[in-house]
Amino acid sequence: MAFAHANQIRFHTAELGAGPTVVMAHGLLVGSLASWYFTAAPVLARTHRVRLYDLRGHGKSDRPTTGYDTATMVDDLAGLTADLTAPFDLVGHSYGALVALGFALRFPARVRRLVVVEAPLPPGQVAEGDAWFAAGPDHLVAALPAPLRDAVAGGRRQAARLLANLRALAEDTTLLADLRAEPDLADDALGQLAAPTLCAYGDRSSCLPAGRRLAAALPAARLVVLPGGHYLHLDAKDALAAAIAEHLGG
Amino acid sequence: MTDATTPEILATVERLLIEVVGDELTLTGPITLATSFGGDLELESIEFVALAEQLHAHYGARVDFVQWISTKELDQIIALTVGDLVAFIAAAT
Repeated sequence: MAFAHANQIRFHTAELGAGPTVVMAHGLLVGSLASWYFTAAPVLARTHRVRLYDLRGHGKSDRPTTGYDTATMVDDLAGLTADLTAPFDLVGHSYGALVALGFALRFPARVRRLVVVEAPLPPGQVAEGDAWFAAGPDHLVAALPAPLRDAVAGGRRQAARLLANLRALAEDTTLLADLRAEPDLADDALGQLAAPTLCAYGDRSSCLPAGRRLAAALPAARLVVLPGGHYLHLDAKDALAAAIAEHLGG
Repeated sequence: MTDATTPEILATVERLLIEVVGDELTLTGPITLATSFGGDLELESIEFVALAEQLHAHYGARVDFVQWISTKELDQIIALTVGDLVAFIAAAT
């Protein structure tokens, strides 16, 4: 396994394929670089070098107690892409999409094209919010994307490990407080973002209004609505991969 | 580094799995061709990534586990057995 140090944290990273670089960021809590590794990343890897990483606190990256706000996570991403001299493509799901947007707003010259999948706005509306934790483990499992839920349903090891990870993030880190404190993006700032942007949302997702808002506020954005919910990389695996591949080009 | 036969490939896969999951794996009983990654071993998706990375390190680019997996639906991935993986490696090497 590959690891990279950035922002005083050790991150688990992976790369697939060769070509122009695309960096992909996953969503919070149940997400990890596996979210993309087994869905859209192999499709993009046919034409691109795909760089994946586990967000802080997730997968096999370190789990620091603080720094789960998007500004700090943009710093993480900047560190993990410091070696890339040419502008690169950036893809994010959910909170990872907010990190990608934040990166593009702070470093506009570094981003070639952007893909925003199911970014929640305002950010505190993250579908994987604290209602989950308040409702207890059973509800928590019920809120998982269907394939994951089915795998966990009869399971012992997977369920135990998943819940342990979620509890550690909720109880030992500032993640939930950081989420609640995360400011909304300003539409006039979004209006300055020139990178061609694909906004991909699920027709059954509560985040869809955020997609409409982004597509209207960003000057070079296009909204594509695919059949599915918030976990669109699972619900519409092939369609989402194809839409991303088309947006990024060869 | 060519594993010519099914028993050899199975032994390699078992060793790589233990590297990924740790000794915990030996507690679940012997790994056979019928052992499933989801139902029996209950691998986490991030451990599946680690297994893919180990396979790549061992076999090189000719065993493109990630592209192979990407052609499958998620329920197929969850139902995947060690035997499926061994057969794929045998065909690719």
